[in-house]
Amino acid sequence: MLLSPTQRVLRAFAAWAVVALFVFPIYYWITVAFKVEREIFSLPPKVFQFTPSWKSFEEVFGVSLGFENGLEVIPGGGNFYMTPRLVDSIVVAFFSTILAVAIAVLAAYALSRMRIKGQHHFVFWILSTRMMPPVAVAIPMFFIYKNFGLLDTHVGIIIIHALMNMPLAVLLLKSFFDDIPTEIDEAALIDGASRFLIFRKIVLPMAMGGIAATAVLCFIFSWTEFLFVLTLTQTSLKTVPVVSSTFVTSTGTAWGNMAALGTAAMLPAFVFILLVQKNLVRGLTLGSLKQ
Amino acid sequence: MPWLLPLTLILVVFALYPFFYNIYLSMHEFVPRKRELVFVGIENWARLFEDSRMWGSLWITLLYTGVCLAIQLVLGMIIALLIDSDDPGFGILRGLLTLTLVIPPAITGMMFLLMEDAQFGVITYFLQSLGFLSSGSILGDNNSALIGVMLADIWQWTPFMVLIFVAGLRALPPDPFESAMIDGASSWQIFRRLTLPMMSKVIAIAVLIRGIDLFRTFDYVYVMTSGGPGTSTYTLSLYAWQQTFSFIKWGYGATISLFALFVILIAANIFVKLTKTRW
Repeated sequence: MLLSPTQRVLRAFAAWAVVALFVFPIYYWITVAFKVEREIFSLPPKVFQFTPSWKSFEEVFGVSLGFENGLEVIPGGGNFYMTPRLVDSIVVAFFSTILAVAIAVLAAYALSRMRIKGQHHFVFWILSTRMMPPVAVAIPMFFIYKNFGLLDTHVGIIIIHALMNMPLAVLLLKSFFDDIPTEIDEAALIDGASRFLIFRKIVLPMAMGGIAATAVLCFIFSWTEFLFVLTLTQTSLKTVPVVSSTFVTSTGTAWGNMAALGTAAMLPAFVFILLVQKNLVRGLTLGSLKQ
Repeated sequence: MPWLLPLTLILVVFALYPFFYNIYLSMHEFVPRKRELVFVGIENWARLFEDSRMWGSLWITLLYTGVCLAIQLVLGMIIALLIDSDDPGFGILRGLLTLTLVIPPAITGMMFLLMEDAQFGVITYFLQSLGFLSSGSILGDNNSALIGVMLADIWQWTPFMVLIFVAGLRALPPDPFESAMIDGASSWQIFRRLTLPMMSKVIAIAVLIRGIDLFRTFDYVYVMTSGGPGTSTYTLSLYAWQQTFSFIKWGYGATISLFALFVILIAANIFVKLTKTRW
């Protein structure tokens, strides 16, 4: 559509205004992390003018105040000390991503290259796993995990997050493999190379970009997941989204600390998502739309 | 098929087995006095269909799904048309819009909980100074609590629609649009007769994926309202979860979660058939 210069300026103005509206809550949340209690609860709410403070971050990530009687002193009495929870989140997201991608990459290659009987049904089965309400998996899983001793363990959460990401990983990787011309495989097959050799030496290196994008998305979905961690953990581990409810106490909510943890959890995800911009839409639609 | 074996194995052990275990649970109930599961046959299912709170939560879930989907669809399309431009700066705008998608929904819930706080919330303050809200809180009122939760969902997921639609718009062939403009069609006619029909596949996929996720909503209501006030924000997922873990009705909770699963599978299948969506 051809626009006059005035219309173009108006359009740019409207576009920036709309995006600002969407960015505002993030901005506001970050300011809360840097505000002291008094300023969080001031009326009218302080949006731009406040005195930044690291206090909330220090309490949450336990910047040590030194030693006293041989014990490390952490601000705020250490009640809101969340560094271990951040480590839990990273461990779970990292290993569940590796597990999901490792299993999915084999299946995706097979689904992309080989004609298998009932393939359509198999793909549909994978897709219906994506439709399951998490609660319908979490409830039986709680009892199964309890029987097998996987409740409240890192391994248990890693497995369930890998399973949760499986449909995304398989379908997305399949779409990346579909982009690589089959003639390459066929030529190598004629030359006597085995399927596995072709996969490892030719197709896998060519699909590296797609695999990286898939891994980033799996990581993000594990990082943000709530219901499984809430249901299948008790005390030995908790990820950031679940542990944020710790800040809601009987004497009020520690908004500053919660925002500090939330901000720290958001920033790495922001970096990741900007890395996969090119493949984002493909990822969000499970490989069915290409950019 | 050694290639598919690991995937099949993990799907059988961690998807199929829990599914059948859930059916087993739905035919039992935990009896606290005996401290064990007792077989009850179809009692839980009979109870499910007579449970007015279950129907209430199904209605809330459908209302939530329908309203959020409609708003996200319309808003998403308008914003997509607005920011689909190669002018300088628009790439940055599209990048900024992706940020909302990676925030844990539980944290988003907390963000909106603070912004909708009855006394100190910035949204509350804004609405009050505009005169839309007289007093009291958004989340504390039966009539507006669901809207308060929807606001968080709409904020977080409208960009999802925008990004998909922008990608769809960019993939459209230019020729039909040029000839339509030469023929003197109005912008609205072009949108109605060309853009919308050519985007139908993209829209169908966006509606399917978003619809499924909306129907499963749990995080926002759990952290923002816990289903209250009263039962005004009880979604099906939350109801099932609370029956199992708060009221120790293990069998009944499983029954509700299975019911939710069947509803979504049937609805999604009908949608896929009608729109001929393919993967």
